[in-house]
Amino acid sequence: MHTLRWQPITSLVLSIVGLAVSIYLTLTHFSSAVTLSCPAGGGAINCEKVTTSSQSYVFGIPVAVLGLAYFLPMLVLCLPVAWRSLNRWIHLARLLLSVAGVGMIIYLISAELFTIKAICLWCTSVHVITFLLFVLIVTTAPVVLGWGEADELVDGTEGVGSE
Amino acid sequence: MADNKQTPGGGNQPKPGGNTPKPGVSAKDRSRQQSRPVTAKAAKPPAKKGGPARGGGSGGGSRPPVKKAGSRKGPSGAVLAWGAVAVVIVVVVVIVAVAVTGGSNSTNASFTAVTPAPSSVVSKVTNIPDSVYNQVGVTSSVQVSPPIPLSNQPILMLDGKPGVLYVGAEYCPYCAAERWALVSSLSRFGTFSNLKVTASSHTDVFPATNTFSFEGSTYTSPYLTFQAVEQVSNIPNGQGYYTPLDKITKAQQAILNKYEQPPLDPNAQTGQFGYPFVDIGNQAIVTGPSYSSGILAGLTHSDIANGLSNPSNPVTQAIVATSNYISASICASTKNQPTAVCQSAGVQAATKALAAAAK
Repeated sequence: MHTLRWQPITSLVLSIVGLAVSIYLTLTHFSSAVTLSCPAGGGAINCEKVTTSSQSYVFGIPVAVLGLAYFLPMLVLCLPVAWRSLNRWIHLARLLLSVAGVGMIIYLISAELFTIKAICLWCTSVHVITFLLFVLIVTTAPVVLGWGEADELVDGTEGVGSE
Repeated sequence: MADNKQTPGGGNQPKPGGNTPKPGVSAKDRSRQQSRPVTAKAAKPPAKKGGPARGGGSGGGSRPPVKKAGSRKGPSGAVLAWGAVAVVIVVVVVIVAVAVTGGSNSTNASFTAVTPAPSSVVSKVTNIPDSVYNQVGVTSSVQVSPPIPLSNQPILMLDGKPGVLYVGAEYCPYCAAERWALVSSLSRFGTFSNLKVTASSHTDVFPATNTFSFEGSTYTSPYLTFQAVEQVSNIPNGQGYYTPLDKITKAQQAILNKYEQPPLDPNAQTGQFGYPFVDIGNQAIVTGPSYSSGILAGLTHSDIANGLSNPSNPVTQAIVATSNYISASICASTKNQPTAVCQSAGVQAATKALAAAAK
């Protein structure tokens, strides 16, 4: 339970997938070649309604770009070398970024359901990835940061920066 | 998370009196510490000072305690971590539950009723001065996307005449914008009757964009046949969509299957259809809004209609430029009939622009 074998590689894979989807959404956001149309057959699933809404900008920045700004550093922080790092700030940064990410998706889900009243499946896939990263990173934080039970370590192998 | 009874290798510590660990860290263990990820190091289990190591098993060897922190009185890090995850899950579930519950209560959301179009509005849209058509041409201060020109396609024939097929929906804000130009253009080739006015969905993007509805209208022309299919109304059905209207015929669906799909519609995704779709005699197709519905925001039907005599009006420029593109595409299927329309400066400008786009 203490050894992080699958978590680093899983987080890396999630970050790569999330970055890929964010790149796609950013390209479609700025691409004039994308043709908008109203979906035939259903109204709840409507990516264009979501991505063209006023909620698709936060502080004047397209949410798609914010996705890039999240997954790019997250990918770096989830590299195996970062997971192995003895630098406590790297692990703290990863944790804080994941918390910020999950906070953002809670806002975006609220905006989709209450304000826009439509769901974008591409956006939802990013939300799921962000949540999974949050779960993975938060639940490993006590180990990598030496919090909680790590304080009780007595063999000199306490978590990063716990001294 | 932590299992204080286990050795770093996951096994249990050797029984007392068995492989009793020697004081200090072995070279092997030191090497292991240096090579293992810090995350693994942090996960080393504690051992009770002075207490017997419990359990057996191969483990990874045991090490003597070198530090012992005080026992924590609060919850462990693992409990806090999983608690945070649980909080997030609960928050999301509550948000979804409230949205679903609230959604069922908003099934009677407002919509704009479909009513007969005022004659003053119809007259102004169907009688835009030639000078306005010609002065605008395809020049618009608002971005206008031309139809997608098709090549080497047989002319679409409907009821024995070159045809224009429109498939859309009353709720659709993009259709709302397109209808102004369609009514304008088609009126140069024939006559509408029983046109209705309404507005797009009040909850979709570009809400309540004022427009016409082709539902129940008729169109006659010596040059072409116009078929309009409004598949869906703008009345919420209580399940996140809108009540159905016209059923599309098999022949019309066949046209969609061919022309609103790749490769003829390069922007389409296989198996997915969207509104609006306009097949202009198989010479060009419209598969989305030609201009932004947003420019119509806040404008009444009369506002839009009254502005159509002013070629400097940005809304007029967008509608008229789109209309000229549609007219030019129609002329390609009617053998440039009527000449008064097809040879006009505005339509000729659109014809040239479409030819350039086709190259």
